[in-house]
Amino acid sequence: MVSTIQNTDVKQKDADRALVVAVTSRAVFESGADGDDVYGMGVAFPLLQALQRVNKRLLEENPAESLLFDVVVITTDSQQQQQSSRIISSTRHYGLEVSRFCFSSEEDFVESLQKNNVQLFLSTDSNEAPQASQKGVLSALLDRQEAPSEQLRVMFCGDDVNRPDAGPMPASRQAAQNFSAQLGEMRQRFSMSDSPLRIVLVTSHGGRESCGALRTLRSHGVNVDEAYCLAGAPRSPILSVVRPHFLLSDGFSGLED
Amino acid sequence: MCEVKPNNSAPTEDSGAERDWAAAKVFFDSLKTNKPRPPKPQYAVTIAVSSRTLFDMVAERKIYEDEGLEKYVAYQVEHESDPLLPGVAFPFVKALMNVNSRLRKLYPDSEELFDIVLMTNNHAQVGVRLINSINHYDLTIERFCMTGGKSPIGYLKAYMTNLYLSKDSEKVTEAIEEGIAAATMFMTQTETLSETQLRVAFDGDAVLFSDESEIIVKEHGLDTFFEHEKAFENKPLAQGPLKCFLEALGKLQRKFYAKNERMNCPIRTYLVTARSAASSGARVLKTLRSWGLEIDEALFLAGAPKGPLLQKIKPHIYFDDQMFHIQGANEMGTISAHVPYGIGQKYHKGKLIEQPAKKE
Repeated sequence: MVSTIQNTDVKQKDADRALVVAVTSRAVFESGADGDDVYGMGVAFPLLQALQRVNKRLLEENPAESLLFDVVVITTDSQQQQQSSRIISSTRHYGLEVSRFCFSSEEDFVESLQKNNVQLFLSTDSNEAPQASQKGVLSALLDRQEAPSEQLRVMFCGDDVNRPDAGPMPASRQAAQNFSAQLGEMRQRFSMSDSPLRIVLVTSHGGRESCGALRTLRSHGVNVDEAYCLAGAPRSPILSVVRPHFLLSDGFSGLED
Repeated sequence: MCEVKPNNSAPTEDSGAERDWAAAKVFFDSLKTNKPRPPKPQYAVTIAVSSRTLFDMVAERKIYEDEGLEKYVAYQVEHESDPLLPGVAFPFVKALMNVNSRLRKLYPDSEELFDIVLMTNNHAQVGVRLINSINHYDLTIERFCMTGGKSPIGYLKAYMTNLYLSKDSEKVTEAIEEGIAAATMFMTQTETLSETQLRVAFDGDAVLFSDESEIIVKEHGLDTFFEHEKAFENKPLAQGPLKCFLEALGKLQRKFYAKNERMNCPIRTYLVTARSAASSGARVLKTLRSWGLEIDEALFLAGAPKGPLLQKIKPHIYFDDQMFHIQGANEMGTISAHVPYGIGQKYHKGKLIEQPAKKE
């Protein structure tokens, strides 16, 4: 059974315009000792703070801005589903800008994502993300960051950007395009050098093909800030310098590759 | 300083790296082209060039300085399809490519090649014009880092860079402090250089060797220097920032020697030093020998100006630590690169420069 609860501490976002990002409760919070009322900070904490910072800057530029990140905390298993009050009180304790809570279990969390118009699903669980992706929800795996940056850094994997469309576009691909277009629009609100949001492209192909990826993204309204064309070089040394908060490709991708 | 390329990458990274490599290989093989595939970074000699050294971007730079970042990027995007003119590192890159094609003929399966990487601070939108220009000249540059304003140092390390060339002396200094061979290039009008042989010329002290002897000259004078060098003739000098690059060149040279191509080797190295052969030269040659390194021509000038000699050599690049020599060489049409290392940075024409307080 799915239940959705609004966080009355936080002003609700415009449902039509906001970019809905769902993060699992297991990613946001670290389960501490059973006695504690409040959870510890989880892997997704720096990410949430970065999302909040972007919202703050967007509102500074335009107090009537409606294209904001709309953060939803979702439980994806029955055990967490039972902990609803602790999740809510922990969220309030840290003053997180979370507008809604979705309490669902393994069986129905994807349905919950769809019902809530989630445009990006972030999880630390390597099974959950592909499950959601298969049903057309853009997903990415979150990993612990060593030195997370304050700036929200979103990385696109460019190898899929130019793949020829063989047949009807898979739902996950459409979801990725929609998300990236909105993210691109958000990026345009800020100047080139002083932005709380950075868009990074990484490709395992060479420069020539990556040129196409840059152009394609541009045509979707995404002006990439940084680009790394590896031409077969290993990805992890570059990733450890770039330090993206998450990596997006067609549907599902992970940080540790 | 030479630990940049370990022989074995960490076991945990192997499967991911191998997967990247295999995927890229499949992709490259599927392209109906005879363009060569870039080598694996850990075996290659990686040269990172900045956009302003590879191409002439003087006019564009002026727009950036006068009108700001956004106007500059907009200009570049507008002129995306106009190829840029060749820059000061262009002949060097072409010469590297020539060495690569010779190596590929002799060793078709080897990954021991030059790997040229574009390492630029530029915004990725400017990258389209850079890639178009690279394609226009048919340069084999496949790896790019467009950092959008961030420091390239982390990426230089990530690519196991053997040499970094830039117009920005601050970045070059930072690279040298991190143990990466680097030099600042200056624009010059040059005559046509050899298209069949890469020629690299090095100053000795504070470039190939440490600045220990140069300190003696600056602080105690020439006579003390001569005595010292004679006394320590058999003690090898400590290594300088470009020693590992010479070593990498030597490794590739030996691949030609192994196939009987010594007389026709497409790499030639030169030592151009103010030392004199009679008094202080021996220590230099013995040091090189102790390192197991060869240099093709060692030219001892005994203090004579380097300009005329370099004009005869016509190197694709000449490394020196003293701006005075760089300017002299440049005036005579030699492509020079300044290595900001050692005591030479504190002096100009023998006089101590007033140093501003170091930036925090």
